[in-house]
Amino acid sequence: MRSYELTIIHRPDMAEADVQKQIAEVSATIDTSGSVTGSDFWGKRRFAYEIDHMNEGYYSVLDFEGDINLVEALDRALGLSDAVVRHKVLRRVDRES
Amino acid sequence: MPRSKDRKPKRRRQRDEPRRRKRIVHKFAEDDYVDYKDIALLRKFMSDRGKIRSRRVTGLSAKRQRQVAIAIKNAREMAMLPYMSTKQPSKQGSRQRR
Repeated sequence: MRSYELTIIHRPDMAEADVQKQIAEVSATIDTSGSVTGSDFWGKRRFAYEIDHMNEGYYSVLDFEGDINLVEALDRALGLSDAVVRHKVLRRVDRES
Repeated sequence: MPRSKDRKPKRRRQRDEPRRRKRIVHKFAEDDYVDYKDIALLRKFMSDRGKIRSRRVTGLSAKRQRQVAIAIKNAREMAMLPYMSTKQPSKQGSRQRR
């Protein structure tokens, strides 16, 4: 198991409750074969530049542990999701013992 | 032969040349992870146009500079930092050409 950090940007035209629901869904997916070690919801934030005519988005960060298959599955699912503007998975070598 | 004679003499500062000082903008802990979400920190290593400052300016070690540069690029992808921003004294004047 390796440590990862996932940041997701959701569309700004969604209700905050729906965003939370989406994040809970992602967390549930992680929990099937890994574990969520931390989560942080930043709320709506302005972008530094325009993305697809949007100027803001909901930022959220999830720390988790899992294997490569899980990361690949997440990456694919988030890339296809219409609710997600952008996402990024980073490995956190510094958190691994 | 004494070793010191083989060494190249240190370049001396010319009289009118200003004294150059390395700008150590930030002190990092020994094995500090450079987080791309720490916008305030990364901004210190960027010009006000959004460019990454060179090592000559930041005075960082090669390793540290690399970590900072990658962090800035990650932050740009997530729209937390600009790829480029034109210097604007005010929002109203943004349409004007210089």
